[in-house]
Amino acid sequence: MARAWADSLIKAFYIAKKDAKVYYFKAPNFTYGLLIPVSLYLAFSMAGEINSKLVVAGLTSLVMLFGTTSIEAVAVVLEKQTGTFERLLAAPISLFTIVLGKALAGFFFGLILAAVVLFPLVAVSGTVVMNPLLAVIAIAFTSMAFSALGIIASAYAKWVPEAQMLSNFLRFPMVFLSGTFTALETLPSQLQVVARFLPLTYSVEALRSSVGESAVTYTYILDIVVLALFSIVLLVLSAKILEKRIA
Amino acid sequence: MSSENAIEVTDLTKRYDGIIAVGNITFHVKKDEIFGFLGPNGAGKTTTVRLLTGLTRPTSGTIKVAGFDMIRESNNAKEHLGVVPEVSNIYDEVSAWDNLIFAAQLYRVPRDERENRAKELLELFGLYERRTDRAGNFSKGMKRRLTIAAALIHKPGILFLDEPTSGLDVQSSRMIRNLTKDLNKNGATIFLTTHYIEEADQLCQRVAIINQGKIVAVDNPEKLKASVEKHQIIEVSFDQTQNLERKLASLEYSSKVVQVGDKFRLHVRNTSEAVPLLVDFARENGLKIISINTLNPSLEDAFVEMTGLSSEVMATEKEQGKKVASLG
Repeated sequence: MARAWADSLIKAFYIAKKDAKVYYFKAPNFTYGLLIPVSLYLAFSMAGEINSKLVVAGLTSLVMLFGTTSIEAVAVVLEKQTGTFERLLAAPISLFTIVLGKALAGFFFGLILAAVVLFPLVAVSGTVVMNPLLAVIAIAFTSMAFSALGIIASAYAKWVPEAQMLSNFLRFPMVFLSGTFTALETLPSQLQVVARFLPLTYSVEALRSSVGESAVTYTYILDIVVLALFSIVLLVLSAKILEKRIA
Repeated sequence: MSSENAIEVTDLTKRYDGIIAVGNITFHVKKDEIFGFLGPNGAGKTTTVRLLTGLTRPTSGTIKVAGFDMIRESNNAKEHLGVVPEVSNIYDEVSAWDNLIFAAQLYRVPRDERENRAKELLELFGLYERRTDRAGNFSKGMKRRLTIAAALIHKPGILFLDEPTSGLDVQSSRMIRNLTKDLNKNGATIFLTTHYIEEADQLCQRVAIINQGKIVAVDNPEKLKASVEKHQIIEVSFDQTQNLERKLASLEYSSKVVQVGDKFRLHVRNTSEAVPLLVDFARENGLKIISINTLNPSLEDAFVEMTGLSSEVMATEKEQGKKVASLG
């Protein structure tokens, strides 16, 4: 059993490595991941609705959201279109391993994007990250959850435009409902309830905790657990959707 | 599962939205044989291959590959398979070398063997000099060779070749046919899908013909040919061809006439009776006979007899399908 899991993880890692070469580390992907979040930030700041203390966590989370989901959302559907997905299906690999491998590529990409944004933001804003380890953990769980979110859109879609439409449908409401640039408490109470169903809310909250507090809070632990649950549920669902699609 | 068989298919059915693509088929592929799988477009060939390679799940029935159940033990079964689909499915964005290494990693070929095996295969397929080039820059024939190399990286016992020579130049086609024979000589079982019936006749020890989702015949090519020997064929060419097909078809002793280039193939009951009558026909119509031969029924004749569809129609459909797909 343990050997089978190790075998799956190794194969997932190979798939992630291949995806990184094929899809990820290309200049347009970095710019797209950065461009939309920065544009949104500028739009909010021009409207004077931004709380500069919240920017570090909000913008970092948004960059990870847009960076990972943009490519994850098409990573499976592109392979289905070009026929290379059948190479994976014909190999001795479970669908969950394929999905995990694809998500891992997005996960690593998200980590890099977070670093690209976080360091300059901290330097420019003069913010002190009270507990860097908690920040790294929050970034890691965030990156996996967003990567899994992209995968589910890709698993469901039959072609690239459908995947892009689905991922936008999932992403854009989150930007406004998850307290990215403003405090969650400023939203109407009904929308605060909706926000609790969105992974971006937990990502922003966990990152803010690690920036503002050095101790591990109950809220922080809850945020990390919820992000982990999002990742697991989304990955399992993605594998199930793919199974249904190929049946 | 008999140890004699590489693949065993029992009562296999696949329905898509209530439509039966493959209906209750049963056959087996013996170990170490080249098994041809023929059928017109839409007959269920591709669906059967997808079922046997685990790319889709059957509605009912069982598939055993190398002794493993394709549903319950699919990873074990897939370890023994190499799959070459009709459309090359290599990663265009990475090099030929990286494509092979990735394929080896998926099958957990040990690290020290991976590179040796990749080098060996790239040399065998004449791609070693281009190993660092992006596969997307390769010609269709080179991509095909790379796809086959990727399918062989883990030394599979059973190789599925789906239309391996379709659309390739003569040299690449010949190379792939020779390679298929060599792999088989070295102990690999080959499951070959092709619309080139002559190719199946040259390569396969046994052939299955599928039509409308049902297997209509499974046997060796010579036995299938013998089954249609009730018709004998005369191939004749005259010094002109205009309007002759219709005239020849009206002859009493000829049950069917097919024009093949500048020649006419007449299906007759008895060649020794038909030849003198054909000479009379030429004289009466002021025609000069250029050549006249008697032919044994081909595998194509058996195919036509069993499916009711000519192989030319099948090939044309195939090409049209590809053009439509490429436009889409």
